[in-house]
Amino acid sequence: MEVLKEKVEEEEAAEREEAAERAERVEKMRPAEVRKEETTLTQEMLRDLEKQLLEIQIPTPTEPPIVTEDTIDTSNLPLSYKTNTLKEEHLLQVADNFSRQYSHLCPDRLPLFLHPLNECEVPKFVSTTIRPTLMPYPDLYNWDGCANFVSDFLTRVPLLDPLKPPLHLYSSTTVLKHQKGNCFDFSTLLCSMLLGAGYDAYCVNGYGSQALCNMDLSREVCPLTVKPKETVKKKEKAQPKKYTIKPPRDLTSRFEQEQEIKKQEEAKAQEEKWRWEEEERLLEAEKAKPDLLHGLRVHCWVLVLSGKREVPESFFIDPFTGRSYSTQDDHFLGIESLWNHRNYWINMQDCWNSCKDLVFDLGDPVRWEYMLLGTEKPHLSLTEEEDEGMNIDDDIEDLGKENEDKSFDMPSSWVEQIKISPEAFETRCPNGKKVLHYRRTQLEKWAPYLNSTGLVCRLTTYEDLECTKILEIKEWYQNREDMLELKHINNSTGLRTDYFRPGHPQALRVHSYKSMQPENDRVMEFYETARVDGLIKREETPRTMTEYYQGRPDFLSYRHINFGPRFKKLTLTSTESTPRPMVKITERFSRNPAKPADEDVAERVFLISEERIQLRYHCRDDYITASKREFLQRSEVDSKGNKIIMTSDMCISFEVEPMEHTKKLLYQYETMMHLKKEEKLSKHQAWESELEVLKILKLREEEEKAHTLNISIYDTKRNEKSKEYREAMERVMQEEHLRQVETQLDYLAPFLAQLPPGEKLTRTQAVHLKDECLSDFKQRLIDKANLIQARFEKENQELQKKQQWYQENQVTLTPEDEDLYLSYCSQAMFRIRILEQRLNRHKELAPLKYLALEEKLYKDPRLAEFLRVA
Amino acid sequence: MLSSGKMNRIYDSVEPRVMDNDMLKLAVGEQGPQEEAGQLAKQEGILFKDVLSLQLDFQNILRIDNLWQFENLKKLQLDNNIIERIEGLENLTQLVWLDLSFNNITVIEGLDTLVNLEDLSLFNNRISKIDSLDALVKLQVLSLGNNQIDDMMNIVYLRQFKCLRTLSLSGNPITQAEDYRMFIYAHLPDLVYLDFRRISEHVKELAELKYQYSIDELKHREHLREVQLEEEQAQRAKLEEYKMAFVEHLNSSFLFDSMYAEDVEGSKLSCLPTVGELLKAYKEKFVIICLNIFEYGLKQQEKRKLELDTFNECVQEAIKENQEQGKLRIAKFEEKHLLNLSAIREEPELLIIEKKIVECSEDISELFNVLMTLEMQLVEQLEEAINMFERNITDMVGMFIENIQSLMAQCRDLENHHHEKLLEISISTLEKILKGEPDEELPDDVRALFVDKDTIVNAVGASHDIHLLKIDNREDELVTRINSWCTHLVDKIHKDEVMRNRKRVKEINQYIDHMQSELDNLECGDVD
Repeated sequence: MEVLKEKVEEEEAAEREEAAERAERVEKMRPAEVRKEETTLTQEMLRDLEKQLLEIQIPTPTEPPIVTEDTIDTSNLPLSYKTNTLKEEHLLQVADNFSRQYSHLCPDRLPLFLHPLNECEVPKFVSTTIRPTLMPYPDLYNWDGCANFVSDFLTRVPLLDPLKPPLHLYSSTTVLKHQKGNCFDFSTLLCSMLLGAGYDAYCVNGYGSQALCNMDLSREVCPLTVKPKETVKKKEKAQPKKYTIKPPRDLTSRFEQEQEIKKQEEAKAQEEKWRWEEEERLLEAEKAKPDLLHGLRVHCWVLVLSGKREVPESFFIDPFTGRSYSTQDDHFLGIESLWNHRNYWINMQDCWNSCKDLVFDLGDPVRWEYMLLGTEKPHLSLTEEEDEGMNIDDDIEDLGKENEDKSFDMPSSWVEQIKISPEAFETRCPNGKKVLHYRRTQLEKWAPYLNSTGLVCRLTTYEDLECTKILEIKEWYQNREDMLELKHINNSTGLRTDYFRPGHPQALRVHSYKSMQPENDRVMEFYETARVDGLIKREETPRTMTEYYQGRPDFLSYRHINFGPRFKKLTLTSTESTPRPMVKITERFSRNPAKPADEDVAERVFLISEERIQLRYHCRDDYITASKREFLQRSEVDSKGNKIIMTSDMCISFEVEPMEHTKKLLYQYETMMHLKKEEKLSKHQAWESELEVLKILKLREEEEKAHTLNISIYDTKRNEKSKEYREAMERVMQEEHLRQVETQLDYLAPFLAQLPPGEKLTRTQAVHLKDECLSDFKQRLIDKANLIQARFEKENQELQKKQQWYQENQVTLTPEDEDLYLSYCSQAMFRIRILEQRLNRHKELAPLKYLALEEKLYKDPRLAEFLRVA
Repeated sequence: MLSSGKMNRIYDSVEPRVMDNDMLKLAVGEQGPQEEAGQLAKQEGILFKDVLSLQLDFQNILRIDNLWQFENLKKLQLDNNIIERIEGLENLTQLVWLDLSFNNITVIEGLDTLVNLEDLSLFNNRISKIDSLDALVKLQVLSLGNNQIDDMMNIVYLRQFKCLRTLSLSGNPITQAEDYRMFIYAHLPDLVYLDFRRISEHVKELAELKYQYSIDELKHREHLREVQLEEEQAQRAKLEEYKMAFVEHLNSSFLFDSMYAEDVEGSKLSCLPTVGELLKAYKEKFVIICLNIFEYGLKQQEKRKLELDTFNECVQEAIKENQEQGKLRIAKFEEKHLLNLSAIREEPELLIIEKKIVECSEDISELFNVLMTLEMQLVEQLEEAINMFERNITDMVGMFIENIQSLMAQCRDLENHHHEKLLEISISTLEKILKGEPDEELPDDVRALFVDKDTIVNAVGASHDIHLLKIDNREDELVTRINSWCTHLVDKIHKDEVMRNRKRVKEINQYIDHMQSELDNLECGDVD
C-alpha cells in the first residue's frame, strides 16, 4: 500500500507539473482567442441570448418516462457496476484535477462531461463506459450496419435538459436491455461496436441542430425514395477511321438553324426560370421556423476518423438515424470534447463556423487538449512538427514525463461484455416495429415473422407535406411462400405492381394490374429460364394480348392476338368458359441462322376473320427489301362444280430474288396447308395462354388469401415440424440410453464382490462363480414363478369367497351392491386371466432366459478364458 | 409395272432394263404427293430436281443411269436389282441415304462425290474389300452383310470414319474368325451396334484390353501421320503467307544458292585458294541483305493488310448504315401503304378511290426517289473512299518497290565487289601458274580455265553474269507480282462496287414495280 501511495503521489506531482505547464501553454494561446472573440463578438451575443432564453420557460415536449433508478434492477448487476476500483478512483481524481484546471483556464466554457453517474449512482469516467466489442453478426461488421442496427434497436429518449449533458450515463448492457436511451447512450453503444470492429471511432459531445437532436427527419428525403442516379454512359464517339465516308453535304440554311436554336433556348430559359421560382416557393414553405436554441442544444454523436478499416475520409454518424454526415455538415454546430476507450480530448478550436473549420488532428495539443498522456496518438502531421523545432527542450521533458506517465493508462471498462441475442438481433426494433417520418414519406419497419403476411417494411409517399394524400405505397415482404417481394401501389393511377423473387410456381417475376378481373389491362413478366416456353412478358388489354418470348427452338419472339367481341348468345349462357373469338394473330420470329433468309419467316399474320395469311420473310444480308407472300384461303368451286384446290391468284407473292420452285402451285399449296395447321396451333396456344392467365389469377388470389410464410429448415425456433421431429428424436435417444443402462447391469457383480478384491480369478473360482450365478438366476426365476402362482391363487380364493358371499346374500342385496359385486367380479376375472397369462409366459420364457444367461456367462470376458478351457 | 418387275425376278427370266426417262417419270409420279396435292402435281408436272426421295427397287436395273437431274435427291433406293457397278451417282451430292443392297456389285467405287452420305447399304453383294469410301466423312451406318469380305485389315480401314456407329458384316467370311467381334470392338471403339446388336460397354473394355498393344501401335502411327500432315500444312501456310508478301525464300540462302546452282565456272573457281573464305564472307553479307528484304516485305504486307482491312470495314459500315436507312424508309412506307390499301378496299365512292390510288402511286414514286437518292449518295461517298484507297495503296506499293530495288542494288554491289576480288585472285593465280609455281594441286578442269587471261576473265565474267541475272530475275518477279496484285485489287474493288450498285438498283426497281403492279391490280379489280 505504501508503495502504491507513493506512486500515486508521484503521479500527482507529475500531474501538477504538467498542469502548470499546460496552463502556460493555454496562457500562450489565450490572447489569440480573446482577439477572435473581440472581432466576432458572436459568442458574447449568443451567451446573452442564452441568458435571456434561459429565463423563458421552455415548453418541453411530453416526455416518455425516462429510465429511472426504480425501473432498473440494480441488484443483479456485477460488482464493477457498483464500486470503483482503486485505479478508477485514481482516474476520477485525475479527471477532477483536469476539470478544475480546465474550468480555471476556460471559465467561459461549460463544465466538462467527464464522469457522469451510472445506473448504480457510481461516478464512472466516460472512457471506461465504452466497451469495444466485436459483434458475432456479419451484418455488424461494417459501420453502416452497426449504425443502422443501433438506430433501429433503441428508442430515443430526449435529454432531460436539452442544453446540458445528462447527469447519468448508463452502461451499454443496461441500455440494450431496456432498448431506449438518449443520444449519449446511443453513441456509447455505437462507439463500442465500431471500436470493436476496428474503426477509429470517438464519442463526440457537442451541439447539434434542432432536427438532429429531436431526430426530426421530416425535412429529410427518405433514403429509400432516392433513386440511384443512372450513370449516363457516354457513348464514345468512334474515332473517324481513315476511310470513313463523308456525310452528304448539308444544304439547309445555317442562319435559320441558328435562329431556331435561339428561340428554343429562350423558351427553355423561360421554363427554367419558372421552375426555379416554383422550387424556391416550395422551399420557402418547407423551411423550418428558426430555432431559438440554435447552437445550444447538446447532442452526442460518433466521429470516425480516416485511416483504419480503409476509411478514406473522416465522417460523423448520427446515432439516432444511423446516417453518415460529412464533417462539414450544417447540422453539427460545435464540439466540446470527444473520447474513446483510451483517452479524452477537449476541443480548443473555435466553433464560430460550426464544425466546418475543425481539424481532427488529435495529436496536435494546440487544437486538442488531451487528458491522459502516453496514449498512442501520434497524429501530428510532419510539417507542423518541423515548425515546432524550437520545442525540442519541451519534447525532451515530455519524453521524461511520458516515461513516468506510461505507467498510468485508462483502466479497462467496467461495463460487462455487450451481448445481443440472436432473437433480439432479428427482432431489431423494440417490439419489432418502428415508424419513421421523412419528408413526404412515412417508413414503417417490422421484424420478420411479426406480421402474418410477411410484411417487413412499408414506405408510404405522400403528395403534400402534411402527409394526408397518399401518393404511393411500397410494401416489402419476406419469407413468403409465393415469393412475393415487393408490392407497389400507385394511388393516383390505381396501378398495382407485385414483384416476385425467383421460385414462384408459375415463374412470375412482375405482375402489374389494376384489377384482378381477367381480360383487363395487365402485364405479367416471367423468369423465362424457369419456363418451358421461354415466355418473358405477357401484356393484356381488354381486346388484345401480347406475348414476348426468348430462346425458343422455333425462334418465336412475339405473338400478338386481337380479340373480337363475344357473341351475345354465348355470353348469356356462360361468361368465363367460352373464349373470345380471335380476329388476328401476329407472330414474329427471330432469324434462324440455319435457313436462308428467303425461307425464314420473320412475321406471319393470320387474319382469321378475313381468311387471309400474310407472310413476311427476313431480309437478306445485303438487301433492303424482304420477300412477302399472302395467301387467300377461300374454297371456291369452279364453273364445272369441281372444288378449286389452288389457283395462282390465291397466293400473291413478292420475291426479292425470284426462284423457280416457289412459283409452282404445288409448293404454294403445301405451304398453305402447313400454314393452316400452324394457324390452328397458334389459335390453340392463344387459348392456352388465356387459360394460363386465369389460372395464375386464381393462384394469386389463393396465395393472397393464404399468405403462408416459409420457414427455413435451419430455423429451429419457428419450424414447428423440425422442432417436433427434434424433440421426438431426443426422446428416442433418451429411451435408448435408458435401455442401454439397463442392459449393462452387471449380473456378475454381486458374486464378484464376495471374492477378495484385486486378486485374479482361478479356474475353480470361475466355475464356481458361474454355477453360483446360474443357480441364483434359476432360483430367481422359480421365485418369480412362485410369486405369480401365489398371487393367482390368492385372487382365485378371494373371488371364490366373494362368490360364496354373493350366493348367500343374493336375495337381500340392493341393486347397487349387486352392481358393485358384478364389477368386482369382472375385474377380478381380468386380473386372474392376466396372472394366468403371465405365468404361462414366464414358464415358456424361463428356460430360454436361463440358457441366454448361461451363454452370456460363457462369453463374459472375465470368465471366458477359464470356462473355455473347461 | 412394279409387280411385273417382281414377277420377272421370281421366275428368273431376268431381262435387264434400262433406267430411261419413262421409268423415272413413272416412279416419281407414283411416289410423289397424293390426293389434292397429287392433282396439282399432275397438272404442273414434277421437275426431277425437286424430288427428294426416289425408290427404284425390283426393277431389274442393270446400269445406273440418267440420274443426273436429281440434284437435290436425299434418299435413293436401288435395292433388289442386278446392278454390277456403282456409277452415275456423281451429281447426287445431297444424297444422305443410299441403298444398293441385293445387287451384283463387286467393287466399291463411284462414291467420291457423295460427301453428305450418312447411311450406305451394300448388303448382299459380291464385295471383297472395303475401299474407296474416304469421301464419306459423315458416314454413320454401313451395311456390308452377305458379301465376300475376308480380311481383318478392312476393319482398320474403317477407323477413319469418326461418325460411324452402326456396322453390319454378318454373312461374310470374316465372321468365321474366332476373334472377329473382339477385334472390331477394339478397333472401332465408337461403334454402338455391330450386326444389329448393341455392344455392351463391358465387352468393349475387355476387347480394348485384349488388343491394347496393337491398338496403341496403330494409334501411335496415326498420330505420327497426323502430326506430319499438320506440319506440312503449317509450312504450306507459311509459304503462302510469304508469297502474299512477295518475299518467299528470302529468309534463307535460297537466292544465293540458286545463284551458284547453275554456275559451273563459279563452283570451279571456288576451289582456288582464299576464294573459299571470300565466298563465305560474301554469302554471309548477301544473306543478311536477303533477310532485310524479307523482314521489310513482311512488315509492308502487314501494313497493306491493315490498310485494306480498315478500308473494307469502313465501306461495310457505310453500306450497312445506308441499308438501315433504306429499310427504315421502306418500313415506314409499307405501314402507310397498307393502311391506304385497306382504306381503298373499303371505300365505296369511285371518285375517292381514284383520288386515293393516285395518292398511293405518288407515294410509291416518292419512295423510289428517296431510295434512289440514298443509293446515289452512297455511290458517291464510296467512290471517294475507293479513290482515296487506290491512291494510298498505289503509293504504298510504289514505296515498297523502291525500297526493294535499293536493297537489291546492295546485293548487286556485293556481287560486283565479289567479282572484282575473284578476278584479282584468278589473275594472280593465273600469273602464278604461268610462272609455273602453283601453290597447290588444282583439279584438272579448274586448271583448264587457267590457260590464258581471256579464258579466265571470260569464265569469271560468265559467273558474274549469271549471278546478276538471278538477282535481276528475282527483283523483276517481285515487282511484277506486286504490281499485278495491286491492279487486281483495285479492279476488284471497283467491280464489286459496280456490282453492288447494280444489284441495289435492280432490287429497288423490282420492289417499286411490284408495288405499282399491286396497285394496278387493285385498280382493275375495282373497275371490274
